[in-house]
Amino acid sequence: MSRSSRSSEARGGAHRAPPLDTVTEIETPEHIRFRYQLAGPARRMMAYLIDLIIRVVVVFFLILILSLSSLLVSDGFSIGATLLIVFAIEWGYYVLWESLWSGRTPGKRSMNLRVLKEGGYPTGFLDIALRNLLRAADFLPFAYSIGLAVMGLDARFRRLGDMVAGTIVVVEDLRRIGHGLQIQPPPSAAELAALPARPNLSATDLEALDLFLRRVGTLNPAREQELADIIAPVYARRLGVRYDHSARFLALIYLRAVGRTA
Amino acid sequence: MRSWTQEEFVARRQAEWTALNDILSSGKPLYRLPAAEISRFSALYRGACADLVHARDVGFTPDLVSYLDGVAGRAHNLLYAAPPYRLGAAWDLVAREFPRALRRNGRFFALGMFLFFVPMIACTIVTVLYPEFAFQVLSPDQLQGMADMYSEGLQGRDEGEDTGMAGFYVYNNVGIAFRCFATGILLGFGSLFFLLFNGIVMGTVLGHVIAAGHGYNILTFVCTHGTFELTAIAIAGGAGLQMGYALVDTGGRTRLGSLRAQGRDLAIIILGAAVMLFIAAGLEAFWSPSSVAPPIKWAAAGLFTVLLTVYFAFAGRQPKARPAGLRAGSGGLEVGGPRP
Repeated sequence: MSRSSRSSEARGGAHRAPPLDTVTEIETPEHIRFRYQLAGPARRMMAYLIDLIIRVVVVFFLILILSLSSLLVSDGFSIGATLLIVFAIEWGYYVLWESLWSGRTPGKRSMNLRVLKEGGYPTGFLDIALRNLLRAADFLPFAYSIGLAVMGLDARFRRLGDMVAGTIVVVEDLRRIGHGLQIQPPPSAAELAALPARPNLSATDLEALDLFLRRVGTLNPAREQELADIIAPVYARRLGVRYDHSARFLALIYLRAVGRTA
Repeated sequence: MRSWTQEEFVARRQAEWTALNDILSSGKPLYRLPAAEISRFSALYRGACADLVHARDVGFTPDLVSYLDGVAGRAHNLLYAAPPYRLGAAWDLVAREFPRALRRNGRFFALGMFLFFVPMIACTIVTVLYPEFAFQVLSPDQLQGMADMYSEGLQGRDEGEDTGMAGFYVYNNVGIAFRCFATGILLGFGSLFFLLFNGIVMGTVLGHVIAAGHGYNILTFVCTHGTFELTAIAIAGGAGLQMGYALVDTGGRTRLGSLRAQGRDLAIIILGAAVMLFIAAGLEAFWSPSSVAPPIKWAAAGLFTVLLTVYFAFAGRQPKARPAGLRAGSGGLEVGGPRP
């Protein structure tokens, strides 16, 4: 995020440069650009582990049931059925879930991930079959080594299967509109009177302030103070005002600029 | 003109976003919704898109922009969803698309067959002529096991054992074919290795069993399902080589673009090969070890070979398009221009 805002700053902010970080932009036929956050290796690994646990548990219970049933049917039958099930789950688990649940598996769902075509379209059955068959190559020589290495080299975090099938894995933002930033204690009339009615802040300014203010309270207080002391003078100079407490000053101009103190 | 503040904007528009979100969280594909709901959905989607662009342009806070990004993005996915799956598509793949894709990429099919069958036949001949060659490839224990397996004729096994073997064949053979294909992404070397490796091992085993004097038994056992199984492994390997080759000879595209251009054909071919391997596993478990008389098995093998050849050569061919304007029943030559 910060990298992208810096780069657009450098170009005068008039034209937004394509973001440099883990965001991909997709343009629709309506000429709307959506931004998707790409899923990195860590998040995908978590989803993989969840799916792996589910598969192991399912196979374990099926083997348990079949080995109990082998009292009734012959050994050969239950071994055969077990192997068929292991095969179906090894190769079919992902294809089944991703094709029937529009690009999600239980593991991906719990990590808010979804597989999409690179153009932002939903995937078809052939794409899904291809990307999941190629797990056999991504897995080599062990534990998805090749897949992880390729993912690390690719700007869109694609493993080999994604590259052949033309798919990406994105993080779905299911968030609701938050309450917005609150400021404690509420701004006093004197504080507001000292500020311009509509501080002239660009979208990039707001983004930077927003990112900072959202972290207030989670950062180390000393670090918070240090960061605020770097930014506050820049805005104080630009707006031609003075301030007492840098973090509070930043919150005030932010709220003013988005019209929340009016 | 004074534009809305973010508060006002959200207050005015939020009801529509929530409505859109509700349709999205219902999880139904669009075609399952009533007609009125669909047209309402598309209006809501366009509204959300406009709001997104507005919010971004005016510079509202990032949380609002990414909320709208999320809602509009998911609505876009629902609107442009992939067509629903039909059972007919699976039939289409087997009956038409698979043989067509194989013919389109015939040279890789041929290459796969060559790299698999030539070492196999060569190793069979070498092992028959020089039986000690087998010990260079496999351990004495493994070879002894193979020879013992075919030392007696086939009397048929009990049903449970047959099912057991079917499971094993599916697990093992389809897995081999899939790996044979997938490792082709490594510039084709993975497929090359697996084709040669499997060809050499299978040829050696065959030669060793023949040299041990049980040739008739093993060939009778293998002939029927082998038609499907060995061809399918060669097809899968060929598709893997095709994938590797696409990375080398890009035909003017980027490497990724060249790979992507092959994607559809590759998926069709490997799925077709998987179907062949399932047929093979069924035959290998229930037909090949059965007590059916060997001549019948040989006849079946011959029949399947002919059928497969005909299928690969002719299935899914389009009738030749007749020249325009001479269609039967069109009443003579068609002239351009608007019809009355």
